[in-house]
Amino acid sequence: MRIPILKLHDTLLISIQWELDDQTALQFQEDLLHKIHETSARGVVIDLTSIDFIDSFIAKVLGDVISMSELMGAKVMITGIQPAVAITLIELGIRLEDVLTALDLEKGLEKLQRELED
Amino acid sequence: MDSCVKIINEWDIVAARQLGRNVARDLGFGTVDQARITTAISELARNIYLYAEQGEVCIEKTESGGKIGLVIISEDQGPGISDLRKVMEDGFSTSGGLGAGLPGVKRLVDEFHIESNPGEGTLIKAIKWLR
Amino acid sequence: MRKLIFNYVQTHKGEILNDWIEQMRQQADERTFTAMSPQMFTKTSSEFIELLISNFTETEREFQAKLTGFAEKIVKFGWPLNVVTLGLQTFRQIVSDGMRKDGLVDRDNFMEFVTEFDHWMFPLNDAIIASYTNTWERTVSLQKIALQELSAPLIPVFEKISVMPLIGTIDTERAKLIMENLLNGVVTHRSEVVLIDITGVPVVDTMVAHHIIQAADAVRLVGAKCMLVGIRPEIAQTIVTLGINLDQIVTTSTLKKGIEEALEMTERKIIEVEEKR
Repeated sequence: MRIPILKLHDTLLISIQWELDDQTALQFQEDLLHKIHETSARGVVIDLTSIDFIDSFIAKVLGDVISMSELMGAKVMITGIQPAVAITLIELGIRLEDVLTALDLEKGLEKLQRELED
Repeated sequence: MDSCVKIINEWDIVAARQLGRNVARDLGFGTVDQARITTAISELARNIYLYAEQGEVCIEKTESGGKIGLVIISEDQGPGISDLRKVMEDGFSTSGGLGAGLPGVKRLVDEFHIESNPGEGTLIKAIKWLR
Repeated sequence: MRKLIFNYVQTHKGEILNDWIEQMRQQADERTFTAMSPQMFTKTSSEFIELLISNFTETEREFQAKLTGFAEKIVKFGWPLNVVTLGLQTFRQIVSDGMRKDGLVDRDNFMEFVTEFDHWMFPLNDAIIASYTNTWERTVSLQKIALQELSAPLIPVFEKISVMPLIGTIDTERAKLIMENLLNGVVTHRSEVVLIDITGVPVVDTMVAHHIIQAADAVRLVGAKCMLVGIRPEIAQTIVTLGINLDQIVTTSTLKKGIEEALEMTERKIIEVEEKR
């Protein structure tokens, strides 16, 4: 199953609604990069509100896609990481440094706009 | 309640962690512990898939001194680990991943035991106690 | 022989009790008696002797129940365990002396007497110690729970700003709990900045600092900022001496400064209002 990527002005919106398996995660990485290329989007918001766990593989895919997007000139904002997910990631030793985060989609979009204006 | 999932392909990793999450929920673990358990299982199952090609992950309930716990057993007949101390060091990874690996799993659970012999395989037992 | 001892104890109950109280007063240390009034002491002592006797007459289960109840009671009164064991010894001495005086025990049957008496006292000794340990263990685990309940509430002070005051020593278990409270609170109150106040934390060592750094990291992941406030001079000294790197976290000396900074981060400030008359 593919994760839908929506476009809102110069921002791409992704809400991940179900548990990610490896293939879906990799497919998503590819799809997002293509979409950034196609649309010349300057910002990306990935909402993880519905995700209840992230293991090191998914974290790596996520970290990679953020770096890759940035190389292509798009800033990535991660929103809605659940407390349980944040705690697990930290205990695993995955810090996801330099990643922009916000509490929810709404705040993420605001924050991203501010980042893009700077 | 104990049940096992054979790990042969990537989908089995998903099956293993779903089983773990269900058992954890049934035993009454909170959301944070559910995430810890699910993640630990995912990491262990992925290790089997990446390094041993096939093996098995079992989830059991355990009781000791009035405490209830969930046991994760991961077993494979893969190449084994030659330097256990080294893989238990933070930041060590042979797969080019993030290097969270086994030390990360150890931090997610309350008890962690590993046995491994080169050429014979690896057996890992991890326990999370219900608080 | 068992019957002999029992009959003696049963018929001389009063004397034994008086002797026992007398000797205990001389031997036991003072804190046993400051904890309760003389009447209370006499009452408790007589209960103790009754209990010893009932070991003869009642079934094990009844005795066990009585014993547990009694042990709990004296633990509450603050009778130290050594007073209780001393009490058992004294009791044994009194009975033995008394029976010898009455000619019930002589050189011939003394060994039999000792064996029988030991046979009777050993399980009692065991049971009393077990009751004590159980009571202690329960107290310790209850205190642990009480300590956990004390752990760290997150207080929303302004819109977007919350404070978590930490008090007392932080161990790994507590740190985990604090982290959960912190993150759940941040998400429920939709806080953008959260201040961890460590004014009430006596010692910040490498481990505590590590937990704080982890908490700050986790707060960042859920989409908020973490500030560490209430850093006393001696804490600043230890942090630097230990070589702990807190560069990633904004820190201030007082909660007041921290709140001002947090307001600034969320693009607000406190202004004084001139009162119009």
